[in-house]
Amino acid sequence: MTFIDKDPANAIDLIKDGFEKAGYICDRHIATSIYLSQKLDKPILVEGPPGVGKTELAKAASEILAAPLIRLQCYEGLDESKALYEWKYGKQLLYTQILKEKLGDLLEDAVGIEQSMDKLHQFGDSFYSERFLEPRPLLQALKSEVKTVLLIDEIDKSDHEFEAYLLEILSDYQISVPEIGTIKAKTKPLVFLTSNNTREMSDALKRRCLHLYIPFPDASLERRIIQTRVPELEENLRNQLVSFVQQLRTQDLKKLPAVSETIDWARTLLLLHADKLEVDLVRNTLNMLLKFEEDIDNMHSEVPKFISVAQKEVR
Amino acid sequence: MDRALADFVEMLRYSDVPVSISESVDAAETVRLFGYQDRGLLKTALAQVMAKTIEEQETFERCFDEFFSYQINPDLAPEETLDEEGEETDENTDTSPEMTPANDDENSPNPASGGGEGGGGFSGEQSESGSAAPLLDMLERNDRTELTMAMTAAASAANLRNIVLMTQRGLFTRRIMEGMGLDEVNREISKRNKDGDAEGADRLSGRLELLFDAVRDMVERQLALTSSGKAKQFRQDILKNVRLSNVEHRDFKYMRQLVQRMAKRLTDMNSRVKKVKNRGHLDIRKTMRRNVAYDGILFETHWKQKHKDRPKVLAVCDVSGSVASVARFLLLFLYSLNEVLPKVRSFAFSGDLGEITGEFDRLGPEEAIPFAIEKYGGRSTDYGRSLEDFKELCLDEIDNRTTVIFLGDGRSNGADPRIDILKEIKLRAKRVIWLNPERKSIWGSGDSEMLRIAPYCSTAETCNSLNKLELILRDLLKSS
Repeated sequence: MTFIDKDPANAIDLIKDGFEKAGYICDRHIATSIYLSQKLDKPILVEGPPGVGKTELAKAASEILAAPLIRLQCYEGLDESKALYEWKYGKQLLYTQILKEKLGDLLEDAVGIEQSMDKLHQFGDSFYSERFLEPRPLLQALKSEVKTVLLIDEIDKSDHEFEAYLLEILSDYQISVPEIGTIKAKTKPLVFLTSNNTREMSDALKRRCLHLYIPFPDASLERRIIQTRVPELEENLRNQLVSFVQQLRTQDLKKLPAVSETIDWARTLLLLHADKLEVDLVRNTLNMLLKFEEDIDNMHSEVPKFISVAQKEVR
Repeated sequence: MDRALADFVEMLRYSDVPVSISESVDAAETVRLFGYQDRGLLKTALAQVMAKTIEEQETFERCFDEFFSYQINPDLAPEETLDEEGEETDENTDTSPEMTPANDDENSPNPASGGGEGGGGFSGEQSESGSAAPLLDMLERNDRTELTMAMTAAASAANLRNIVLMTQRGLFTRRIMEGMGLDEVNREISKRNKDGDAEGADRLSGRLELLFDAVRDMVERQLALTSSGKAKQFRQDILKNVRLSNVEHRDFKYMRQLVQRMAKRLTDMNSRVKKVKNRGHLDIRKTMRRNVAYDGILFETHWKQKHKDRPKVLAVCDVSGSVASVARFLLLFLYSLNEVLPKVRSFAFSGDLGEITGEFDRLGPEEAIPFAIEKYGGRSTDYGRSLEDFKELCLDEIDNRTTVIFLGDGRSNGADPRIDILKEIKLRAKRVIWLNPERKSIWGSGDSEMLRIAPYCSTAETCNSLNKLELILRDLLKSS
């Protein structure tokens, strides 16, 4: 992508087109944040309800930039040995076992402990060198020769301590490993952090990131998303389906259907060879959209109303 | 960073969008990239740089629209600069039409400083060259450019940026005019009147009047820009320290927000140190098992994890009369802390005592507090009976992790306060905190039993403002 040198408005349109080609329909907000993150070298913290395509955004970005995607899935208890680096203890042990015999040869002509020590010191801390360092996702992204897209998924599931580990990477693109020193990024990766807002991120983390909030899409955007994702679906049905889902989102539900659910539903309808929304059909497939028994029960009676509105709107 | 952006950052900070320095540096970089031409684009971009939560986003959008509807374009579009200046020059054209072009010349080649002016911010370069000529000469020559410069200089000297309240308008206008040399001009006018130069005096006072108008305009613009945020900040600072019993009814809404924000800060502070890992006792069994792969050499250690105990809190509130208003906020505070204090039980009393935890769960603190005051308040306070009731209800549940908070003025209307029960509670509980809205100096006066009560409490404190309340609860969480 050669959008970097263009003037902002053009560059943002270019990014939008690029994403569209990769099958990700985005609005100006999203394109702007990609542009900004490239220009300001800042990670993007993506927030929004589940299923609006936060993770997809990172995947699409990696496709467009032709940069490999390195993904770190966060969970409670994730620590630096899983995310940053780990020493290859097994290898270290094995090597000491093998080298035991060599040690005799090395110290052959040394007299006394003092000299042996000096001799040993000449070899440096070879057991704590990069050869014994197991890079985990974050370190991989920094050590990569080519530009990468680093996706730190569901950061809100991780612990507070882990957030603190991240700060150094996010602001300076470097990691400090006590035994070796500081490892700086060869090429700065494009970093996405996604969060479902199950807990508030610390201010320090937020300060280092651009903040992008992806809400549920409006009807026209959602229609275009379905068009790209499920192109086989006939236009009339697509419009009805989007209108139906949009109406559902106005209801008081435990979990609102997101874009991913709309796509799944579109695929289901396609499989069932439906050509328009019908009450029974919708009722039977409602479990694609709603994930709580209670929600499904509550919406059962509303289905005919929604369908008639959807059909009217489309006409 | 240009002045307009700096002003905008300040406005955001006053409107509860905490823009850090690094964020404002990013914002300046963003403005450099995007320029001011495309407002929509700039708004989108700046929002991502400066607003970091959804609530902040909303505030940001409101502020942006407000601010940039005022702000003239600091980058280009001198025509807008003209509009803004135009109003003032219009008045001026009556007296001296020949001055208008000169005024424009001054503004157009200097668009950067225009940014501040439109929104009532004042650019530094103008203030430096400001008070070169005395006001009298300037008025005499009717030099608009010089007048404007002198006006901005005087405004920054009078700290116009600090204007907060509507009522300060007159004060600031006066101060600015005096800074520019009002007295001298007034003397000159009266002198001319005395000397019979009525025409000269009229001309001068007419021009002075115009200047007054211009200054007034400027003050009002600045007020409009900062007041919404600053006035709120101002009120909050005051509310934090005002005695809780004196809080006006109309301020309850703000108090609620304040309490919630304070509670959130306490929650954030305390939820951070949830786990103590890599410390404490070594879990031998787990460690051995994990390290079998390494020939039994202990590379990975496992520790017996310690979870922090959340304190159990029993809050006993006097809901009669003046104490009720303090109780309202204490309870509001405690329930806003439910993330870190999940086990709060609350009791209300004046004559009899009853538990109101259920009401809080059912109604939420907003409605539960008035309910409790209605149900238990209004009778003459009897500490002895209330403590008896309390003992009956939940003495058994008080253990060494329980903190009991009493809130009351300790005025028992002559009835025995049953210190013995309090002693019993103190022996069982981890801590007994007594909060009294009265000052310490009047404890023990009249029917106050505070001096007998205090020895049986771990802490007995005066608590009559939100700030005090916050301090006490902070201690409570810290030592838990």
